[in-house]
Amino acid sequence: MTALFFFVFIAFSLGVTYVAARRTHSAAHFYTAGGRVTGLQNGLALAGDYMSAASFLGIAGLVALSGFDGLIYSIGFLVGWPVVMFLIAEPLRNLGKYTFADVVAFRLRQAPVRVAAAIGSLAVVSFYLIAQMVGAGNLIRLLFGLEYELAVMIVGAVMLAYVLFGGMMATTWVQIIKAVLLLSGAFLLAVMALSRFGFNPLALFRAAADQYGVAVLGPGRLVSNPFDAMSLGLALMLGTAGLPHILMRFYTVPDAKTARSSVSYATAFIGFFYLLTFILGFGAMVLVGQPAIRAIDAGGNMAAPLLAKAVGGDAFLGFISAVAFATILAVVAGLTLAGAATLSHDLWVNVVRHGDASELEQLRVARASTIVLGVLAIVLGIVFKGQNVAYMVGLAFAIAASANFPALLLSMFWRRFTTRAAQMSMLAGTASSLILIYLSPTIQIDILKNAAASFPLRNPGLVSIPLSFAVAIAVARLWPEPEAEARFAEVEHRVHAIPAPRS
Amino acid sequence: MMLFYFGFILLVAYDKPLLGSLVVPGLSLGILLGAFVIVAAWVLIWIYVRWANKHYDTAIETLRGEQ
Repeated sequence: MTALFFFVFIAFSLGVTYVAARRTHSAAHFYTAGGRVTGLQNGLALAGDYMSAASFLGIAGLVALSGFDGLIYSIGFLVGWPVVMFLIAEPLRNLGKYTFADVVAFRLRQAPVRVAAAIGSLAVVSFYLIAQMVGAGNLIRLLFGLEYELAVMIVGAVMLAYVLFGGMMATTWVQIIKAVLLLSGAFLLAVMALSRFGFNPLALFRAAADQYGVAVLGPGRLVSNPFDAMSLGLALMLGTAGLPHILMRFYTVPDAKTARSSVSYATAFIGFFYLLTFILGFGAMVLVGQPAIRAIDAGGNMAAPLLAKAVGGDAFLGFISAVAFATILAVVAGLTLAGAATLSHDLWVNVVRHGDASELEQLRVARASTIVLGVLAIVLGIVFKGQNVAYMVGLAFAIAASANFPALLLSMFWRRFTTRAAQMSMLAGTASSLILIYLSPTIQIDILKNAAASFPLRNPGLVSIPLSFAVAIAVARLWPEPEAEARFAEVEHRVHAIPAPRS
Repeated sequence: MMLFYFGFILLVAYDKPLLGSLVVPGLSLGILLGAFVIVAAWVLIWIYVRWANKHYDTAIETLRGEQ
């Protein structure tokens, strides 16, 4: 039964890819689907790109095992969207072409900015890919009893087929299909779980409190340190506005107004989904039970599929598992496409070729980069076997918020921003977040089994994000760049899509 | 938005018993406020879209017309 749902989804999405492939003839089609995606389509695709395995499997598991604490992730993942809306979406659409580095480099010197942006983007994409591949490997192993390594390779191969042949068009449709499946699947699962409690969420929460103590409804030990809570919160909030695969989606719509409406659709869908995670998590806690969830996966990642089995039997388990698999495939495809855009558009076309490459060459390099990243994803998935999915995504957000967000924001709104400031801020953000992750208790105590960690916080955001801003401001003050300042008027005009006055 | 969210995070960090207290049986203040943060994000975005469609777009059109 499960296999049937899997094959139907894969066959259908490959069919979509085939249709999309016939229309993908230029770099603009490969990266941005020709810029003709509608607001509702892009809103669904943004939701599809964003609601990853970490959201569906990870958060449901966290809530099922630790109650209220898991909801901190649900809420944190949503609050980044108003930041994207108010600060980033529309100016980004008007200033760039394929990647967010287009915007940062707009009035600065191309090569140094793009190299630094590529380093930050690839770090984010790699951490995010690890989380998705590990989730996929576990899920397929659980369902079909396949070897973990083989499962990871299958996911990598199917995803490569989407991106390689169908580019952004296929990726967008895979994400739309996945978002619709995920939203309806999660809704159905929540309704079926609630039917056991007279459709009253409060009765469900009450049952959870009766069984596991009233403490599950309030904050517990997951965030024991106040600074840890703030660090995670800051990273989740500002990270969304620095995720390369999310930012790239704003180039698929024709204008700023559509970018605006796509964020409002996306926020509506994503918020609805995260409200459902409240029900799914507590539902699994009561109807499946914490011991049964732990017995299958210590991290709780299988709570949602187990809940499906408890309320709907094997057929529903098959459906929900296929939805979870679709979720992972779509996110991996989006990430790979964003990574490929960075490698080919930022590094090859703009740094190696100085912006002078034929359409055919751009497309070839983009496809070659896709293969490189697909192989990288498979290797990372195998190397990082056994990592906690939601936590890895939290780290990807921290790197995105430290490396990409400050430079992107300052390049659009601060007149005196400079090439050197952008470069140093992106490098400092990437380096500091990576080093602090390495020094954190999670790596030092949990993985390397050392007695103590030299950095107390599990998430580096609270230090690395302000550091990146401080470096940017200090460097720009010390070494001003009059040429970049002179071109700021052009940025201001482009942000509002008004033709610049002739100078 | 940042105020709502950081208010919520600071409560999580510093006043756990308050968020754990029950409003009605089965509903803790923490869960209620958490749902409120999500609804607040919806409302803020809805207000922004209405403002932008009505005032911002017209203002930009006027500027374009003047050139």
